[in-house]
Amino acid sequence: MMSRLRELGRILLGILKEIGDENAYARHLTARGVPPSKAEWRLFSEDRMKRKYMRAKCC
Amino acid sequence: MRARTQDTKQNKGPTPVGTQAVTYRGASDAEIKNRETKPIRQRPGSGTIAESMIQKLGWALLSIVGALGLAGIALNRDEHINSMWLIVASVSIYLTAYRFYAKFIEAKVMALDDRRATPAERLRDGHDFEPTNKWIVFGHHFAAIAGPGPLVGPTLAAQFGYLPGTLWIIVGAALGGCVQDFVILFCSMRRDGKTLGQMAREEIGKVGGVVALVTVLLIMVILLAVVALVVVNALAHSPWGTFTIFATMPIAVFMGLYLRYLRPGKVLECSAIGFALVIASIFGGEAVANSPEWAPVFTYSAVALALMVIAYGFLASSLPVWLLLAPRDYLSTFVKLGVVVMLAVGILFARPELQMPAYTKFIDGSGPVFAGKIFPFCFITIACGAISGFHALISSGTTPKLIARESHATPVGYGSMLLESFVAIMAMIAACVLDPGVYFAVNSPAGIAGATPELAAATITAWGFPVDAAKMASLAKDVGEQTLFYRTGGAPSLALDHIHKPLGRTNWMPGVIGCSALVVGSWGYFLYQGVKDPLGGVNTLWPLFGIANQLLASIALCVATTILLKMHRAKYLWITCLPLSWLLIVTYTAALEKIFSDLPRVGFLAQARQLEGAIAAGKVAAAKVADTQTMIFNAQLDAGICVVFLILVSIIVIDSARVWIGILRGNRDATVHESPFVLTQLKAEEV
Repeated sequence: MMSRLRELGRILLGILKEIGDENAYARHLTARGVPPSKAEWRLFSEDRMKRKYMRAKCC
Repeated sequence: MRARTQDTKQNKGPTPVGTQAVTYRGASDAEIKNRETKPIRQRPGSGTIAESMIQKLGWALLSIVGALGLAGIALNRDEHINSMWLIVASVSIYLTAYRFYAKFIEAKVMALDDRRATPAERLRDGHDFEPTNKWIVFGHHFAAIAGPGPLVGPTLAAQFGYLPGTLWIIVGAALGGCVQDFVILFCSMRRDGKTLGQMAREEIGKVGGVVALVTVLLIMVILLAVVALVVVNALAHSPWGTFTIFATMPIAVFMGLYLRYLRPGKVLECSAIGFALVIASIFGGEAVANSPEWAPVFTYSAVALALMVIAYGFLASSLPVWLLLAPRDYLSTFVKLGVVVMLAVGILFARPELQMPAYTKFIDGSGPVFAGKIFPFCFITIACGAISGFHALISSGTTPKLIARESHATPVGYGSMLLESFVAIMAMIAACVLDPGVYFAVNSPAGIAGATPELAAATITAWGFPVDAAKMASLAKDVGEQTLFYRTGGAPSLALDHIHKPLGRTNWMPGVIGCSALVVGSWGYFLYQGVKDPLGGVNTLWPLFGIANQLLASIALCVATTILLKMHRAKYLWITCLPLSWLLIVTYTAALEKIFSDLPRVGFLAQARQLEGAIAAGKVAAAKVADTQTMIFNAQLDAGICVVFLILVSIIVIDSARVWIGILRGNRDATVHESPFVLTQLKAEEV
């Protein structure tokens, strides 16, 4: 029971992190092999936002 | 020629048992395995006979419950029914549709193949393409498709009673909306995450791609205007709401600075702080509304708010995106999901009775919220709760790049839309648990109900839905508002962030400003027009949005049909042709009625003629002539937009039909543009 609840919590947190781009940022850091920093976040977020806001958002 | 041969081989469906597939099956034949003989997933129907019988009985029982629930909703006329009838019926039908219809499409029509590496695996880049847990993709996709549409549409359609809208939300989603989302997601996934426009261009032709692009742009303009109008209606003369929305701007800027300089990358932490501040601003709004000094500072007319919203839209799309737009986007997404969860929890705990009858007299087209008969306007109005063309953009955007296994497309594509449809059911319940008199008082424009609360209450009572001004005043006081009249579609929870969607962004500031001015000016014009419309702008703008949205769905279904045909699935074409035919009938009828109906409240040209007649007959005061002439121009402009929509969709339907006939006759190239088959290397624990 507890393990299922933990699994549910892990999935919910995963959804929130995916929505909040935290997972994508973690993937970005892994791919580049660098630690988190202000400069990396700027690099990541500017590219991410540029592509995100070029697409139409749903109604 | 070689490429075509390869494509043709791919299009003959799943690899026949006895050849390559056997290599990757387990000894018990109960599991599908990859090259390393690691199990990918359980083969459906691989349990014992007893388990199989229990499952079948369970599904039979659920189907009966769904049928009884629908019967209970449809046949009850004389007494109020409990909202749980709608919940039970819809959930039972959703589950049954998912288990049988979605799985049928998955297995027979699209032949999803878990041995095939998805673009997330093949093109894995640590950015867009990444194999992701299916429930995380599900949540991400749902958050992306869930906007204000499934909340506003059913609320407006409740003027026909709860039954028509509820039936369409359930049936339309199961047979139309979910199918569209699912098939387009599948098509995009097989094409390395290509967009709807790219697929239209490749599979139908260049014309299809251009038409899809222009349609999206036009829909965006109308959508932004109508959602902004709903926000303006909700905030007009409401210091509480206005203060709260105003407060979200500095909160968003704080979040932007926090993410940029203090804690880069900590989006959830930052959003939690932002969320807490928004909640604090809601409580602060109550104090402002009760303050004789501060309340007037945050009390504005609809026109003033419309101008502010236009200015805000321009500002938000011109400022650096990280400062205002992105943090608001994160915050509003979490708030939106919170609203959906709270709505569900509230309905499940309260289990309220529906006060609205199954049908109202307004099915004849005389409704005060928007004009037009139940057919076709109920279907146009519901829009996103049943089928939304916009979802095709999401299904061919980020989502296909995250799918780890092909079979995950079923819960993500079909399942997410079912959940969106359930949100629409909850919105319908929320609208119908109101006393009908209160519902019509809130949603009827002043030009129809009457300019004063007393007059409006008398008019609505005369329609057969008793309400009095004192009761409305008491309700308004209970929720901290000065008045609840004339807030068509007014749901204060509809976030302001939906009104500033930039369509493009460059680093060249004059380009940014020019593009922002053009787009904001376009939707701002329609917003201003809606605010000044004495019949209530929603009456004009929401049907326009609904028509455009359903036409975009038609385009998506044309693309899906073309691809299925090229995949040699002609005998299954009905799964896309059925919703496509219905959408074309509904949208063409609605668009033609909006242009040519003789009733001024329905037909744009009739409205223009009526106003011209009034000026000619001297019935318009001299001071109002200029405004009336503007209204005449606006009505003609709206008619013109409907004509453009019809032309655009006619082009793509004719273009698609030309392709279909060519393929069926065998004189046209039926090459699909799928990526080549690559065997997955992902292990079960990686998915």
